[in-house]
Amino acid sequence: MMDEFSLPPTGAKSVPHPTATEGALRPTMAEFLAFSTDVTAFSRFELQGTGLAQVYLDKVVEVVGRDIVIRLFQAHARLPRTPPSDPEGRKAPSDPEGRRAQFRRSIFGDETLGPVARNIIKLWYVGVWYQLPPTWAEVNGVRAEDVTHTVSPEAYVEGLLWPAVGAHPPGAKAPGYGSWAAPPEIPKCSCEEHQHADHEGHADGLHERPSGTVF
Amino acid sequence: MKWDKQQAVDVDTNRAGVAMTETMGTSEEKLRYLRTQLHRAMQLEHATIPPYLMALYSLKPGSNLDAQNILRVIVVEEMLHLTLAANLLNAVGGLPDLTVDGFVPRYPAPLPDGETAFTVNLAPFSPDTLETFLKIESPVPPAPDAALRGTRRVLYGALSSGLGSTTDEKRFATIGEFYRDIEATLNQLYEDMGPDRLFTGAVDRQVTSNYYYSGGGELFPVTDIASANRAIQLIVQQGEGYTESVHDAEGEIAHYYRFYQLKVGRYYQRNDPPDGPSGPPLDVDWEAVFPVGKNLSMDDYRHLPEVRHAAAAFNESYGSFLRLLTDAFNGRPQILSEAVPMMFRFRDKFLQLVHYPLPDGRHAAPTFEIGPRRCGP
Repeated sequence: MMDEFSLPPTGAKSVPHPTATEGALRPTMAEFLAFSTDVTAFSRFELQGTGLAQVYLDKVVEVVGRDIVIRLFQAHARLPRTPPSDPEGRKAPSDPEGRRAQFRRSIFGDETLGPVARNIIKLWYVGVWYQLPPTWAEVNGVRAEDVTHTVSPEAYVEGLLWPAVGAHPPGAKAPGYGSWAAPPEIPKCSCEEHQHADHEGHADGLHERPSGTVF
Repeated sequence: MKWDKQQAVDVDTNRAGVAMTETMGTSEEKLRYLRTQLHRAMQLEHATIPPYLMALYSLKPGSNLDAQNILRVIVVEEMLHLTLAANLLNAVGGLPDLTVDGFVPRYPAPLPDGETAFTVNLAPFSPDTLETFLKIESPVPPAPDAALRGTRRVLYGALSSGLGSTTDEKRFATIGEFYRDIEATLNQLYEDMGPDRLFTGAVDRQVTSNYYYSGGGELFPVTDIASANRAIQLIVQQGEGYTESVHDAEGEIAHYYRFYQLKVGRYYQRNDPPDGPSGPPLDVDWEAVFPVGKNLSMDDYRHLPEVRHAAAAFNESYGSFLRLLTDAFNGRPQILSEAVPMMFRFRDKFLQLVHYPLPDGRHAAPTFEIGPRRCGP
């Protein structure tokens, strides 16, 4: 999957607009979901369950361009992974702290990748593309599409912030007459439920909901 | 209110039901038969809900608003019919049970009362799906649609279910006929036994509008012959309706005609003939639908732990929903208020599955595999 990718040219600061970019590489849904499960602490199923995964991936590519997105995913793929279980099922010790530190260094601390990574989190949680900081535009150029906007009406409805706090989006997904008498149901972090079940093995110790320690 | 025989049609197709009622023996036997048929009525009303929900939730958000609205109204009314059938059963001393093995059919399935002319699928909204819905709700005598006119459906009284089959020979032409047989049996028992021996169910087992808010129409307790007949009439009128008229006395459109509007792309307005809606046009976008897999089962998810987990959780909570309804229909109507938020949670879980693309390009969906699998019909 993402490991099969060859590396893009490193250190490229001036990235042409995606429409001007030639090349066979395009960011895949698998990479986007692998990255997104790490930074949102929601499972791949929950992310796909919003029905917006493709919309968001397209949005990121549309605004910042394919090459930066590919760089982001490749930086993510290079992070140390949780070692696979040995044949007897024992898990080798993982190093979540080390991984977090490297996450911060190589992604969130990167002047180009960091703001894009944060924007992906915001996309998932609130369904809004926030205009990138001026410093990003200084380095990478101004993008015409880079204005703050709600991606679609569904993006508001499907924002992860609502399930994260056990609430529903006001004006949508009505929970039914009288449901306000019951306390909110805050779902268990699905990464805990699914870590062992995730057959593609992206369990990595980064997940904590609400998101926090990494950023 | 008595059934309007003038309106109620087609003496020919009614004969079988009447004949069976006449051949039955003692009042006790007839009462047992009535209770069984009312249980089947509940099963029948419920069996339409998963397919209708599947079609409804396969519609992409922001699209097909007319279809969304029509499907939602019909599902709400099916819930009302289910509750009215439970009230009828309770009124004559029966014990509603939605947890009995086989209550929820395994799709694809004939309608649970053994209808064999067509099977019902759990499938996304499509022209084929709509045709099936038109068959389910087909009025007596059938259909303004020429394609349906030749179809003579046979309903067997004996259900392919765990409810027992005391009436293997019994055949009905339509769902309306199925109810007409119930009505005939009920009224004959009323004459034979009188109200005190027929309506033996405790009144506090009745679900009333105090416990059940519904846009689907009035929910009322069944306590005597008048309210019993009124309940049957409401179910048939809202459901299949009559061939003579699109609108009923209250100006409501029966389910068949609601679906027919989607087929022809136009709303009915008052005084329209059944085959000629002349109201505003209605948009159907057959493409704005998630390509949900047809009749998916847990087996389809065997290599997808996350989906399997979500689908199993859905089935489990649907099972507890049916248990809750059973409790509510057995003397605790006040707990129905808990069913409401429960249903809305289903919707969210349902949509999560429907949004999920499977590796083969189809989308996931709930499987509605509730309880142990039956070995056969």
